[in-house]
Amino acid sequence: MNSIHSSWSNIFIAHIKRDILTNSRSLLDLISIVGLMILIIILFPLGLGPIKEKLNVVSNAVIWVGLILAIIPSLEKLLLKDFENGWLDQIATSPAPLEIIMLSKAISYWLIMLIPLILTSPIFAILLDMDLKNIPWLVISISAGSLAISLIGLSGSALILGARRGNILLPILIIPLMTPILIFGVGVNEAVKINESPFGNLFLLLALTLIYLVISPFISALLVRIAIGR
Amino acid sequence: MFDWLANPNRFKKSTNKLEPLLMVISLLFIIFGLYFSLFDSPKDYQQGDAVRIMYVHVPSAWLASFLYLSLAVSSIFYLVWKHPLADLISSSIAPIGALFSILTLITGSLWGKPMWGTWWVWDARLTSMLILFFFYLGFILLHNAFERKIDGSKSASVLAIIGLINLPIIKFSVDWWHTLHQPSSILKFDGPSIDNQMLIPLSFMIIGFGLFSLYLIIINVKTKLIEKKCEALILKLNLKEIL
Repeated sequence: MNSIHSSWSNIFIAHIKRDILTNSRSLLDLISIVGLMILIIILFPLGLGPIKEKLNVVSNAVIWVGLILAIIPSLEKLLLKDFENGWLDQIATSPAPLEIIMLSKAISYWLIMLIPLILTSPIFAILLDMDLKNIPWLVISISAGSLAISLIGLSGSALILGARRGNILLPILIIPLMTPILIFGVGVNEAVKINESPFGNLFLLLALTLIYLVISPFISALLVRIAIGR
Repeated sequence: MFDWLANPNRFKKSTNKLEPLLMVISLLFIIFGLYFSLFDSPKDYQQGDAVRIMYVHVPSAWLASFLYLSLAVSSIFYLVWKHPLADLISSSIAPIGALFSILTLITGSLWGKPMWGTWWVWDARLTSMLILFFFYLGFILLHNAFERKIDGSKSASVLAIIGLINLPIIKFSVDWWHTLHQPSSILKFDGPSIDNQMLIPLSFMIIGFGLFSLYLIIINVKTKLIEKKCEALILKLNLKEIL
């Protein structure tokens, strides 16, 4: 029993290492995701006018919406490369459970793409004139919700494997699923703004993350098996 | 029973008699329901004649959610027992459900303008109904997005089951968040809080809408069965030419 568990964790860690290695060879994806986030952030002061009070009101929501929109183009390629070059076929024939591999995909995506966004989010908050007392809570709420976002993104990316024009389809499929994360994530900081306890929304956000952590690897593995036809 | 109905030929035979009957009954229900609701039901003491929008709004809202439930159930049937007919049924339900959810949103906003003074509010129930529409849309798009049709059917079925999370949110949104949309007045533990004079035409409309959408679904499934047969015939002919 013990050996099985240790081998599963070995598989898990090996896959995370592989994903980090392959992604570190070209930083283009990472640069484009952070760049897209900055561009979305820039659009709002341009659209609303550079009035500090207005920006302060919307800053929290803008950063969350920007986070969700910025990762969509990269989600499309999350499984597609491995699908097209046959790696997923190979992996599915191996005795290692596909669910573990899917979980490692979500975690490595979170480590590679979302951690940089979490780390840079205080800068965006200052750019959008957020109050200083809100910034720690913004980072906490994004850290809590971003894992759920990457898990949903993994399922969405598995949904469109092999589809025609999947890149157009993907946002329509996953944005409705991300709405609860957005609602509770924004709710954390809105509660801080009116001097209430943010923990209600934060715990609901963490609960959602845990639910997706359990469900998403299974759904993604099921969808990958459908896509490779076994 | 499901295995028995899952045979396409048996499905066709048993629905051949049902189909005209369903059309007549559903039209009767809708005609009587419309007469009662438009001419022979009382005005609301607050809302006046505008309350009559309810007789279209509530049935379509109910059907939009109920059809989603049936879509998800037939998707489960397709994924678990792999009945091809279940996939045909879910792909026939989806456009009808999408239409009902749009109808709900349109009648709702027509009703909201005189009553709430606005076409649209970001109320929990309105938003969750809009998201339901996007699940229908996603299902239809994903179903048609694949080269191999069977992949599309399977992926879309999974999406339909994921979207099931949205249904309890729609149902209980008016109780969880007290916003502008009024709470439920029919399906309650202590009986309906709506007067019989309004409840009777409303139930006529709900039954009529339900039977009519069943009729539409049966026609849709039959058309798709014929399409499949044609495809198979064409494949056979092509094969003969090659050989």
